[in-house]
Amino acid sequence: MKKRKIAAILMTVVLAVGTLAGCGGGSSSSGGGSGDSSAEADSSDSGSGDAEGITIFNSKMEVQSQMEEMAEKYSEEKGVPVEVYYSSDTVAAHLATKYASNDPYTISMVDAKDVYSLAEEHALDLTGEGWVDKTTQAISIGDKVYGFPVCIEARGIIYNADAIKNITGEDFDPSSIKTKADFEDLCKTLVDGGMEAPTGVMKEDWSLGAHYLAQVYEEQDDPDAFIAGIKDGSVDLAKDEKYNSLMDTFDVLKDNNYAKDAAISAEREVTEQKLAEGEIAFMFGGNWDWSVLNAYDYTENMGMMPVPQDMEDDFSGKLVGGGSKYFFIDSSENTSETQQQEAKDFLNWLVDDEEGQSFIVNDCALVPAYSNITLEVADPLGKSVKEYTDDDLLVPNYNYLPDDHYSICGASFQKYLAGETDRDGLAKEITDYWGTAEVGEH
Amino acid sequence: MKRNKLSYKVSQFLMFAGPAALLFLAVVIIPFIYGLYLTFTSWDGIAKEKPWVGFANYAAAFGDGDYWMAMLRTGIYSFFAVILVNIVAFTLAYLVTSGIKGQNFFRAGFFVPNLIGGIVLGYVWKFVFNRAFVAIGSALSGTTVPSLLSTTGGAMFCLILVTVWQYAGYMMLIYVAGFMSVSDALKEAAMIDGCIPAQAMWNVTIPLMRASFVQCIFLSITRCFVVYDVNLSLTKGEPFNTSVMAAMHVYNQAFTYKNYGLGQAEALLLFVVCAVVGVTQVYIGKKGEVAA
Repeated sequence: MKKRKIAAILMTVVLAVGTLAGCGGGSSSSGGGSGDSSAEADSSDSGSGDAEGITIFNSKMEVQSQMEEMAEKYSEEKGVPVEVYYSSDTVAAHLATKYASNDPYTISMVDAKDVYSLAEEHALDLTGEGWVDKTTQAISIGDKVYGFPVCIEARGIIYNADAIKNITGEDFDPSSIKTKADFEDLCKTLVDGGMEAPTGVMKEDWSLGAHYLAQVYEEQDDPDAFIAGIKDGSVDLAKDEKYNSLMDTFDVLKDNNYAKDAAISAEREVTEQKLAEGEIAFMFGGNWDWSVLNAYDYTENMGMMPVPQDMEDDFSGKLVGGGSKYFFIDSSENTSETQQQEAKDFLNWLVDDEEGQSFIVNDCALVPAYSNITLEVADPLGKSVKEYTDDDLLVPNYNYLPDDHYSICGASFQKYLAGETDRDGLAKEITDYWGTAEVGEH
Repeated sequence: MKRNKLSYKVSQFLMFAGPAALLFLAVVIIPFIYGLYLTFTSWDGIAKEKPWVGFANYAAAFGDGDYWMAMLRTGIYSFFAVILVNIVAFTLAYLVTSGIKGQNFFRAGFFVPNLIGGIVLGYVWKFVFNRAFVAIGSALSGTTVPSLLSTTGGAMFCLILVTVWQYAGYMMLIYVAGFMSVSDALKEAAMIDGCIPAQAMWNVTIPLMRASFVQCIFLSITRCFVVYDVNLSLTKGEPFNTSVMAAMHVYNQAFTYKNYGLGQAEALLLFVVCAVVGVTQVYIGKKGEVAA
């Protein structure tokens, strides 16, 4: 009898432990959420004077392995433990969970728009840091600097010069393509010369909505006023000169698209492979596309040029872009002063130390945002962007579009690409969108 | 120690159900209540302040046209998917219990799709739709055909097809159990009384399997209404956001568009709809159940 009782109790314990263990993984991370943060704060305060170590959140997937290597080396050389984390989740959603569990990263890499929404509550004021004077791309709100630009990225037409030369027999000079007509003629020459279709168009909503369409706002003298005009009806988007100028050029891209009959099923990888291997010659994109292009049998003779347009204004001959991906340092009580200092030192190391500079330019193949970094950018698209940056030929990004803009307007733009709506229909859908949407505070 | 004392009952309960109840409370009930609280705030998901806005989020949810479109789409999707899943599952179950050669092998084979996670499954099928079908279609017609996934109706069709493929094997197992539970003696008796096999199936076997139907339909309805993973990896809402299901809209609203309170309110409405449909179905189904 007694044995049976003991056996029963044992069974119960096993079952109970089993249930607990099953949820162990989940509850340990969420446990910190409702629990108090003092335990963490205590442990980080106790070792003041010594290095406490920092955590970095990386949201640029293509440089994750480089970041990890760098962290290991940096930890060894500087004696400051650095850990790098990556998440494929939406940046804001991922940080929201970290903040909800009182376990923020010391340094987080976010998009420009996130800096505006997060900085005032969560970011450390970086005014007065050495790097601030060396860049034009830092993000300030009010009179405080919050965002450290990681690199420069710009949008335009990516070309494959070898593919063009194979047909025309002449070296391709991107500066010869200034207007829509130039572009159209060259496409025609290429088709006549035997290239089946000279362009590719990415159907992704972020490419159409956030990158191509956004140029309509960005290439206005006052984007804020322009959007306000769409909202109150004083601007008729369908009749806007810039909108039509950009859509004219888009039509050339669309008509020469290799996937013209099935534009919405074109896959980004396939399009980039065709461009890299010279089956097509042009694609609208940005220098971040290099991380996809270089997976294929590419040629070095590629580069970026501005979207050719008939409208001549201050924005002609310029790429659109600027600082992309920003670091900010957490200002909450979860990050100790020592850690904040270590984080600041790390950012300075990236800009001022030769190894840090080399990490950004050589290891990660990014275009540096700092004037004191003179290292040569390795990839051809980055080289183009660096030239335009050095010549001050960049149209700044408009970073205040609402979060759902790319998805909703991108979907409308996809309809245009698929031929399910016309230019006026697209303008109407965008105008309707702005009827309720609000631009971010800035 | 008296067995009917309250303290005894409580300690027995705590010993056996305590740990599980505690966990259920911690990971389901408390988050649910906290979520309910968040629907009354205009929290963006990350700010320190959670401003109280009363019922504004519910008003906004009822006025969110995209949400109700997604809901309608989910309803249509669930309607077709539930019917097809159950027809296919029932047919398969009938075949693998009818004594064909290698039926255990088939049972295992049909169940395998259910073992592949929704995300992986979506990517596999995406490849099939975008590459394999396009290549076959193009070869047959001589021109480039667009992928099914890039057409408005096609994307929904693909979602339903993949769902049927995924769940049919699982539901089949429940139907197999149902078939096995009907005693052969009853079927034989019906045959002796002059039934043809179809009549025996319709009048004897199916009524006795009512519990399996109730269970399968309930499971498939609730799973279809909250579909997310296949939706995400197969269509991602494309083309033109016409394949965004309710759960995906809720996720986008809360996390991508950073309207956490509104997203939470919409999630709650989805829960209510799902619960009402599921409970009604079980209630109706249970009412006419016959005991063998």
